[in-house]
Amino acid sequence: MKKYFTIMAVLSLVACLAAPVLRFLDLVSESGFRLAFLLASLAWFIAATVRVSWKK
Amino acid sequence: MPGRLARITSAMDRLYEFDREAVTPDKLQSGAKFAGLFAGEHVAATEFVIGAFFVLHGVPWRDLLLGLLLGNLLAVLSWTFICAPIAVRTRLTLYWHLRKIAGPGVTLIYNIANAFLYCILAGAMISVSATAVGLAFGVKTPGLDAVWPTSVGWVLVAFGLGAAFTAMAILGFERLSKFAQVCSPWIFIVFIAGALATLPDLGVQGDFGNFVAVAKTRIWNGVAAEGQEPFGFWHILFFAWFCNLAMHVGLSDMAILRYAKKWTYGLYSAFGMYPGHMLAWICSGIMVAGIGRSMEPGRMAFEAAGLAGVIGLVLAGWTTANPTLYRAGLALQTVTPGWPRWKITLAAGAATTVLACFPLFFLKLLDYVAIYGLVLMPIGAIVFAEFWIFPLLGLESQLAEKKGWTFNWRALFIWLGTLAVCFALPIHLYFKWLPGWFIAAFGYTAASALRRK
Repeated sequence: MKKYFTIMAVLSLVACLAAPVLRFLDLVSESGFRLAFLLASLAWFIAATVRVSWKK
Repeated sequence: MPGRLARITSAMDRLYEFDREAVTPDKLQSGAKFAGLFAGEHVAATEFVIGAFFVLHGVPWRDLLLGLLLGNLLAVLSWTFICAPIAVRTRLTLYWHLRKIAGPGVTLIYNIANAFLYCILAGAMISVSATAVGLAFGVKTPGLDAVWPTSVGWVLVAFGLGAAFTAMAILGFERLSKFAQVCSPWIFIVFIAGALATLPDLGVQGDFGNFVAVAKTRIWNGVAAEGQEPFGFWHILFFAWFCNLAMHVGLSDMAILRYAKKWTYGLYSAFGMYPGHMLAWICSGIMVAGIGRSMEPGRMAFEAAGLAGVIGLVLAGWTTANPTLYRAGLALQTVTPGWPRWKITLAAGAATTVLACFPLFFLKLLDYVAIYGLVLMPIGAIVFAEFWIFPLLGLESQLAEKKGWTFNWRALFIWLGTLAVCFALPIHLYFKWLPGWFIAAFGYTAASALRRK
């Protein structure tokens, strides 16, 4: 199970990075970037916190 | 109620972590933990301020890049060749090792100074985070010349954050490391995201083709803001090197590196230096240029990355203030041997929270960082001399412990004398510590050799 949260954490971090790249390339609006970045960040904190606290 | 309170305090007392004894082999930590700890600690709220101040000080683009590359390299080498070898051989915190060298009296003075300086640093981090939280309540960020608290709202925000940060610091090393593990990669992304999203506003094209031209003209253009001293290559190199002077050359990070399996674990500090003290500083420089070179970290983070940027700024302050308060607790432990860790950290947290109300500390952060390293540096030089130079000359070390001295007067005189000489030296504040280190190391060795004769 921990493996899935690790994958989810990595993907959400990639999404966090993708949002400003898309904004930089002018493919999303400023508000779109901010919302996408916030949601990806939320996903990171959920996945990473569960992953770190997971007991074998 | 008193029984319940006793149970809680008893549970907190169990957080004891071998502070007063050498770390045993079963407690050693993996390299990944050090990478995470260094990364978490050096991508901090203060990075939002430091990188921005470089822009305000008018550093030219080329000087910034070269200065950061070399200065951070020197910092990593200082951790690896100065701090880590002593930490893994003694397995003690600096405080307990210094007690053997300089005696409990000097250690007491050192620890009080150290704890006070740590509290100011943690206070500055809380202040920076307060500029972000204050946005939600319409609290204005104090101006560049502010010294005293500027409003009741500012004081309330700083107090609230200080209480939260102190609560986390009480939980200890293992939990701090876990917390940093969760936060640090994301905080680093906040810097990258904020800078990337700001670049189009500064006129950088999608292929990065004109990035250097924009960097040279609109960000690090060599023009200092009004009232700010112009900086060049040497300022940046020395700042990057001494930014954590108390930790590496000053040996405070023996507290952390005593858990390392090998001295080469000092190299893991590069995980903090290059992402935190190079990329993050560059990113905050870009972000401050995006808001017209105004020193408002909260607004800067919000304009660059929205609500996530604000959360990032608060968490960056939190993850760095935590180990700083933890260290302050360690420093005070020798002063109050009967107190449990949680009570000491609570006292340090309360002092920090009060200091956080004064915007002076984050607005003069660059100078404060220089003074902070300079004040503690001579003690690191004295310990270094006892550890490496004394055996070569056949001088007896750790005399305070062997002779039962309360004060090693030579150590105290060399420490204070070095500081007096350093402050009198007619060179820039940022450069004073380097000649000071040699004065302290060789002065202490010479004084000890004379005593033997």
